[in-house]
Amino acid sequence: MISVRDADANPSLGARLPRFEDARLLRGRGAFTADVPPPNCLHVAFVRSPHPHALIEDVDVGRAGSAPGVVSVLTAADLPHVPLVDAVAVPGLVKTPQSALAGERVRFVGEAVAVVLAESRALAEDVAELVEVRYTALPPVVDPETATTLPPLDPVLTSNEVYHGERATPGLEEAFAAADHVVSGRFTTGRLTAAPMEGRACSATFDPVAGTMTVRCSTQSPHLLQRKIACCLGMDLVAVRVLVDDVGGGFGQKIPASPEEIAVALAARAVGRPVLWVEDRRENIVAGPQGKEQRVELALALDADGTFRALRCDVLGDAGAYSFNSASALIEAYLAAGLLPGAYRIPETGWRVRSVLTTKAPIAPYRGVGWTSGHTARELLIDRAARLLGRDPVDLRRQNLVRPGDLPYTTPTGMTYDSGSHLATLERAAKLVDAANVVPGPTADGYYRGVGISPYVEPSGWGSAGAGESSWSFASHDSVRVEMAASGAVTAVVGTPSQGQGHTTSLAQVVASVLTCDPRRVRVVTGDSASTPLSTAGTRASRVATVIGGALLLASERLAAKLALVAGHLLGIDPGEISFRDGRAVAPAGSLGLAEIATAAVADPAVRAALPEPDLTATAFYDPPATYSNGCVAVVVDVDAGTGRVDVVDAAVVEDCGTVINPMIVDGQTLGAFAQGVGAALYEDAGYGGDGSPHATTFGDYLLPTARCLPRVALEHRESPAPHTRGGIKGMGESAMIATPGAVACAVAAAVAPLGITVTHTPIRPHELVAPTAD
Amino acid sequence: MLPDDPLVRRAADPVTVTLTVNDRPARITVETRTSLADALREELGLTGTHVACEQGVCGACTVEVDGEAVRACLLLAVQVEGAEVRTVEGLAAPDERLHPVQQAFTDHHALQCGFCTPGLLMTVHRLLAERQGVDEAEVRTVVSGHLCRCTGYQGIVDAVLHADRTWDRPVVSTDSLPPRQR
Repeated sequence: MISVRDADANPSLGARLPRFEDARLLRGRGAFTADVPPPNCLHVAFVRSPHPHALIEDVDVGRAGSAPGVVSVLTAADLPHVPLVDAVAVPGLVKTPQSALAGERVRFVGEAVAVVLAESRALAEDVAELVEVRYTALPPVVDPETATTLPPLDPVLTSNEVYHGERATPGLEEAFAAADHVVSGRFTTGRLTAAPMEGRACSATFDPVAGTMTVRCSTQSPHLLQRKIACCLGMDLVAVRVLVDDVGGGFGQKIPASPEEIAVALAARAVGRPVLWVEDRRENIVAGPQGKEQRVELALALDADGTFRALRCDVLGDAGAYSFNSASALIEAYLAAGLLPGAYRIPETGWRVRSVLTTKAPIAPYRGVGWTSGHTARELLIDRAARLLGRDPVDLRRQNLVRPGDLPYTTPTGMTYDSGSHLATLERAAKLVDAANVVPGPTADGYYRGVGISPYVEPSGWGSAGAGESSWSFASHDSVRVEMAASGAVTAVVGTPSQGQGHTTSLAQVVASVLTCDPRRVRVVTGDSASTPLSTAGTRASRVATVIGGALLLASERLAAKLALVAGHLLGIDPGEISFRDGRAVAPAGSLGLAEIATAAVADPAVRAALPEPDLTATAFYDPPATYSNGCVAVVVDVDAGTGRVDVVDAAVVEDCGTVINPMIVDGQTLGAFAQGVGAALYEDAGYGGDGSPHATTFGDYLLPTARCLPRVALEHRESPAPHTRGGIKGMGESAMIATPGAVACAVAAAVAPLGITVTHTPIRPHELVAPTAD
Repeated sequence: MLPDDPLVRRAADPVTVTLTVNDRPARITVETRTSLADALREELGLTGTHVACEQGVCGACTVEVDGEAVRACLLLAVQVEGAEVRTVEGLAAPDERLHPVQQAFTDHHALQCGFCTPGLLMTVHRLLAERQGVDEAEVRTVVSGHLCRCTGYQGIVDAVLHADRTWDRPVVSTDSLPPRQR
């Protein structure tokens, strides 16, 4: 357990410091995109396809275009542009372009066909109903298993399979042949949507004189959106400015540039007035990016004593309608296969990975990305193996986990776990839910009880190297700037917006840890692509603490060196004698406060005369090596075999993300991801019917977990600092979303095993758990 | 419905509404169909009230109307003629000191992105104005009327239990809600 230090006494890393952003948000003074409409803006309503798959024969805007208060109704023909296309460079991936508005063909229910611009949102919605689109329906492609047997969804395709890859270690077949046991299974995870409480939102203002586009957007990746808009609209990168203040949750959905965001920018340029789009919940659920739909077939080879020898998987991912733009069709299946071994020592692995297009909303990253589905399948399979071998599931995992002596450990899929506490976190999580004393099966009070243990590894803190070990190499580095004003106050400028992660606080703590000042003296500034240093990837992949945090450590050290030069001059000593303590430059000869040094740097002519560049600005670039967090989620469930209701009655998460910056924020990330994991296991379902229409369209049918669905979660931390990243910081935002669905699914599977019921799918539906009646 | 439909034309008729918002008189002119949430945001600039589902499920838009916590997305602005409305902007003291409920939220990390927070604050404010000595099960039941995607609710539950102890207020009721049904 890490110590929770008093923030006032020690402002360095590890303090449970309350968040600076709260003062604003608690008073209703946030600045979400809809709160800051551009002056004189028009409001957008999209005309969206009711068909999963159809040819657009004709769009008649006649009646709509002449309605009072309507400024314009635009279709694809009115807004020529370069379509969005998957940016990932993986050999074998076939990319299908996606236009901001569908022109000839719609490929999922909710795809935008036309954009209505009116003086109010209500009017725009009214008028959207007047736009008459004539479609010729085509057969939907719903089942990923049969997608390749249906005609390709895009002319660039020869098949709806956009990726097919196979890989195996040399000893795989031999290991299976020599195994004493082979346990196999077929598992599926349903479609989910991230469902941030603030949906997507975007405004755009085009200045025809300057030739510039200013976009305000609820995005995780302002620089990435800037690139996409510039590319799609044929503008120079610096002519596009992306602003982002508060974002009401993202969880991955707001990483890619949405086609609607491109349409908003195109519309603003076309009509010469600012345009604001704030999607409603139905748009977010139906037309926003989704995630997680996979089918995973696994086979595990074991020795008689339970030692894991080899694991083989066949992963099929449902990418939805397009090989998506700045995310990728591979964000699910491909990543699932890479993390196949998880926290276990498995010498041989093999995979087949396929990704197919279907007539559903395109996928994008959703917290835990493809790892969640692969992890869930593997943990269910290990529990199945334990039952077949008559082994305690905790003990079988203990036997096969990565041990301290194995580290650094390289998996056969090419990830090198740099450090960790895999065994210790397993033991502790199991202890916290008293797993050893949970007897699976019927309880005295009429329920069926089970425990699920889910040790995890999170490939975290993606720099380019981490991204490369997990998936494909892309630029995932950051630059930052740290400057000190004459008052001694510090400004840290970064390119990664927060969607609730508390960067304004945690990053201030990082800077303060170097300068030894009060973190309240550090203002973290972000949210403007024009003035913040470049963040190539934005806020994603649990990377901000590691990449931005590391860059800030470096920049702060450079700033401290500059301060030491000035202080050395003022004190008449060698700067090398100076160290920083309690916000002062300290040397045997005397000490100076940061404000004194900063004031002298700006105003003292003697300092200027003595030092060539006494400026107090420092920049840094950081692209860290790969690093891996770990931990364990444990839950206990009670199943009502009469109704199929599942209660999660006890839960624990023991996590290890290396050096902790702010344990309160780590707790919050863990608890939030845990809740999403319970939702994924039991409630949330963005599935489609056989006719290609989405089942869920509102929060009345896409069921998010509520406070009554969740137990109090016991949280503990271990700290295994990353040996190779600055400050030993790892990322952790996705961990509990990787491991919790598996924990819950394993617990339910254990509970209902005595009833002869097996669990092979999440979300687990109540009717699947109702004990068969003797009739 | 279509804009040239007579019903829509009537729904778009402007109506003037007089009310009290956060202890100050207010007078707004809105279309009949304008929700209270939209009117607060667009006519009065009180953008702390957030809209997240527009159908009463998520609770993000909750405000107090005449001492009751209500979904501002399910109420038309014309329905609050003469009413006293309190929004999240009216919770902190005039000197900007946080209300004990707000203070408890920051102390217990009960918010992350902050989008659902204003609605939760209003519900919790109303709950604790009427009740003292709440227990965790009751708090979870009340909080389950709101959706939060970030926190997993544990910090929120802790904040409510804490504010129940720290908010110095006249006791209205210590009767508990019926026990939670499993």
